Amino acid sequence: MTMYGPSGVDVGDPSEGSVDPAETPARPPGRTELVPRLLGPIALVVVMAALGFLLSDNVLLTLQEVLALAVFATATNLLLGQAGLVSFGQAVFYGLGAYTVALGWLHWQLPFWATFVMAPLLGALVAVPIGLVALRARRLYFALSTLAFSELAYQLAESRYDFTKGANGVFGAFVPTALTYPRTGYLFVLAVTVASLLLLWKVNHSPFGLVLRAIRENRGRMQALGVNVYLHQLLAFVISGAFCALAGAMFVVYSQSSYPELLDWTTSGGPVFMAVIGGMGTFLGPAVGAFIYQFGHDELVRYVSDWQLVLGVVLLVIVMFWPDGLLGGLGRLARLLRKRRGDR
Amino acid sequence: MRRRRLAAVTAAVAMVATTSACGASSAGSDSGGTVKIGISTSLSGSIANLGQTGLQGLKLAIDDINKNGGLLGKQVQVVSADDNITPATGASNVRSMITSDHVVALFGPVASSIASAEEQVAAQYKVPIFFHTSNDASLMSKTFTPYAFQNVPNTVMEPRAVADYLAQQVTKSQPITIATFAPDYSFGHDTVDGFLKALKDLHVNFKLVKQEYPPLGASNISSYLSALVAAKPQYVFNAQYGGDLVAFTKQAASYGFFKDTKVIAMYAYAPLAALGDQAPAGAIGFDRAPFWAINNPQMASFIKAFQTKYGKYPTEWAILAYSAAQQWAWGVKKAGTFEADKLIKVLPGANPPTILGDLTIRACDHQTEVPEYVGTLSSTGDSQFGGLHLYEQPVFTAPFDQIALTCNEVQSMQP
Amino acid sequence: MDLASLVTPLVGALSAASSLFIVAAGLTLVFGALRLINLAHGSFYMYGAFLATTLAAWSAHTGLWIALVASPLLAAGMGVVVEVGVLRRLYAREHLTQLLATFALLLIFADLALRFWGKGVRGVSPPRVVRGNLELAGAPVPLYDLVIIGAAVVVGGGLWLLLSRTTLGWKIRAVVDDPEVLAASGVNVRLLYTGVFALGALLAGLSGVIIAPQQAVEPGMDAQIIVAAFIVAVIGGLGSITGAAVGALIIGIVETMGASWAPSWASTFIYLLMILVLAVRPWGLLGTPER
Repeated sequence: MTMYGPSGVDVGDPSEGSVDPAETPARPPGRTELVPRLLGPIALVVVMAALGFLLSDNVLLTLQEVLALAVFATATNLLLGQAGLVSFGQAVFYGLGAYTVALGWLHWQLPFWATFVMAPLLGALVAVPIGLVALRARRLYFALSTLAFSELAYQLAESRYDFTKGANGVFGAFVPTALTYPRTGYLFVLAVTVASLLLLWKVNHSPFGLVLRAIRENRGRMQALGVNVYLHQLLAFVISGAFCALAGAMFVVYSQSSYPELLDWTTSGGPVFMAVIGGMGTFLGPAVGAFIYQFGHDELVRYVSDWQLVLGVVLLVIVMFWPDGLLGGLGRLARLLRKRRGDR
Repeated sequence: MRRRRLAAVTAAVAMVATTSACGASSAGSDSGGTVKIGISTSLSGSIANLGQTGLQGLKLAIDDINKNGGLLGKQVQVVSADDNITPATGASNVRSMITSDHVVALFGPVASSIASAEEQVAAQYKVPIFFHTSNDASLMSKTFTPYAFQNVPNTVMEPRAVADYLAQQVTKSQPITIATFAPDYSFGHDTVDGFLKALKDLHVNFKLVKQEYPPLGASNISSYLSALVAAKPQYVFNAQYGGDLVAFTKQAASYGFFKDTKVIAMYAYAPLAALGDQAPAGAIGFDRAPFWAINNPQMASFIKAFQTKYGKYPTEWAILAYSAAQQWAWGVKKAGTFEADKLIKVLPGANPPTILGDLTIRACDHQTEVPEYVGTLSSTGDSQFGGLHLYEQPVFTAPFDQIALTCNEVQSMQP
Repeated sequence: MDLASLVTPLVGALSAASSLFIVAAGLTLVFGALRLINLAHGSFYMYGAFLATTLAAWSAHTGLWIALVASPLLAAGMGVVVEVGVLRRLYAREHLTQLLATFALLLIFADLALRFWGKGVRGVSPPRVVRGNLELAGAPVPLYDLVIIGAAVVVGGGLWLLLSRTTLGWKIRAVVDDPEVLAASGVNVRLLYTGVFALGALLAGLSGVIIAPQQAVEPGMDAQIIVAAFIVAVIGGLGSITGAAVGALIIGIVETMGASWAPSWASTFIYLLMILVLAVRPWGLLGTPER
């Protein structure tokens, strides 16, 4: 019988969602190694682009939403899986991105291209004060603080009726007509997704990413080594905020609207679940989680009235028995098979 | 490491492959002799009664159409969905109904915020949409599209009718104190603004002592209510409806609020039935289509049919939904097709026969020329209708011309 | 401004604070002993309220009184099942895992509630003996507001007595400080955890019954209440019952006064307060810094 009580010690559990050390290269890959490694992702992108011409409108529209969520989840995972910062407030930036496009059109008739670029910039800007305040709290309290920011943003959007149109949300023709067609919209969103994921990948596999992971493993030791932990975490928060806002702007291509619910804590919870389902320790895990979560949700909602029950049970089972998530689990399985083969 | 990435990519590709399998086999076109119409409305929460009874009225209308040989030889099917009082859900329901179920017409939700979301989607895909419950006037003015129709008195008409009635009750010399209590979204704000403006136009001498906007469907309104009570207004214009209004009335009663204050609210059949003897006698009620005040043979047989099918009297939402369906069906028959572009040429300016009468659909804003009904709640229950406290007779029926904006005024606001 | 127009909002504020306290007390107790944030706390609350509506519909006169006992018991039972079946396996894991697990439970319970009680809104009236109002300094005060204030005093007093005067209370406080030593001294710590969690759930169920006559009982009330309970518990200090009382008072007053004077800013201000506390003093006004 173990003597474990509920955990309350302020050190991250290294076995929880850890990154396989082999995942981070000790040196940058040489050119001969690059081609086979890139083959998989390139093939994937080509396949997804081709699907833009094969799938029905309805599925393409859902995919637009899913891709936006994939970026949202991956950006959130920069904090969650890489930096070990559990944030229940990334919806602040997601909603901010969406509202930037919507309100920019509503009040100042700004064109979509301008507001689309503004969204991640505003996200980064807003992330600075929020990060400065929230990061003062550690671990659990940081999560609660971000949750409070999320609800604060939601309340602001709901109550400032004259500016944000309150609970109604903003609906209008702020997306250029070309992008309202499912296929062009999908291809555009896909392009932005690929670019964003590429950039986030670079961040993960940079020295900065390495430091983040080291801070997650042992904050005290990094501080002793002279690393400015606060600054690194703030930078991660800002980068995540920028990409979450971009995801929100992408979402507008699908929804052609913006509304307060995009800011509240249950929306913040979404990418966290997606990361957990897909695997916080892997790069594509959150994106895979986004696919599963959203498609599952949309299909369930149409055919099964008990979708909340199914979602809850799936989440519970994964959390209890499969904490590495789908990709993490597959990775472990692959390693296990490799080891077996090696033993023979 | 490479294995891990391979696993990731494989999983992603598998995901995408499944997607394409689902997507490629898209829903085929309508089979044989059926055609579908869609309704996404609020079937849960405090305003569920409006959505549920509206759906009941629509279904009864479609049953009657199908019994009489269908429409253009086809049987009509109703596709319904719950919007959870969220505009985004309503919009995605409607989009899915159009692209997957290929509905030829849409019928409106309860909340005006959701209606404006659906209005955009309907216009984008060129599907006619009929608003029979949500009544924000901006739906037919600021965000007007030629595919939208409204047969319910809007947020200009309704408060104007109420203001007319109130103006008749008060003397011009003594100022009256008024407070407003409305759900915090477009309908609530627009209705209150409309009421206050109408009072000013009628030169009623009043003082506004408090304005409260609790969130739509908020479970707990005690803090707003105690603020209202503390202001001690003589009249309260309450724009809540459905379950929210019932909750307000019960809680306000626990403050003894109705002793010194006259509440003006949408006391229609459903809330009155829920309140029973707790209905505040002397309060002013308004109703968009009270079944007990509209007398014509079509309405009488509808009421009987509704009672047989559902065991209750029809709410105004059921009545309005039924008559909206009647308008649509008449238009389809007249145009000889389900095609939207032909349908929207036939309906404006016409007066299709419905259970509300042969009312005209005004051409400039697609608004059916309906009246609004206002009255004072009687202190005695009406034995004919199971003890319901209905309005004292004669019920004030505000005619359309008196309460609606003129075509010029509306067109100046349209895009 | 005369006294009468102050009385109604003041009593309203105290009543709101009392409701918040009763809900938050269980949440903060569970966190204090188990270091666990239980999102499903709102579910226990909701089930308590819904059971009250069922019993009140079944028997108009005695239903609510029966519910006063039945709802807390139902919630406690649910709590035991949850703790033994799910949470016990997760104590060694991170906070995030526990949080997600309780969120999954929130979803599951919400769906089951739809099955049992449907999608519509229900209501209960207060028992006949406490219906109506009385005059206090010329202002009408609903009797039931006073009932809620009384209930909060009883719950608060009871908890204080439990924690400071009984052996059980001593054990609960000890398990917060040093579970290993407590276990070594022969106390069944696992049973203790189950007991505390069940107590927290019981309090949630009780608050559901008590508050039901004052509001609409409907789907979604679980998510709505959990945020409010959080704010109160965080500001007061997670783990501190007295803190929950202080936090509830602050929020109750801000909410009610805010609705009177600056309605559209009241709710924003509440969240700003929570953020401020978390930034400056994360363990709350009366909490203790985490070891």
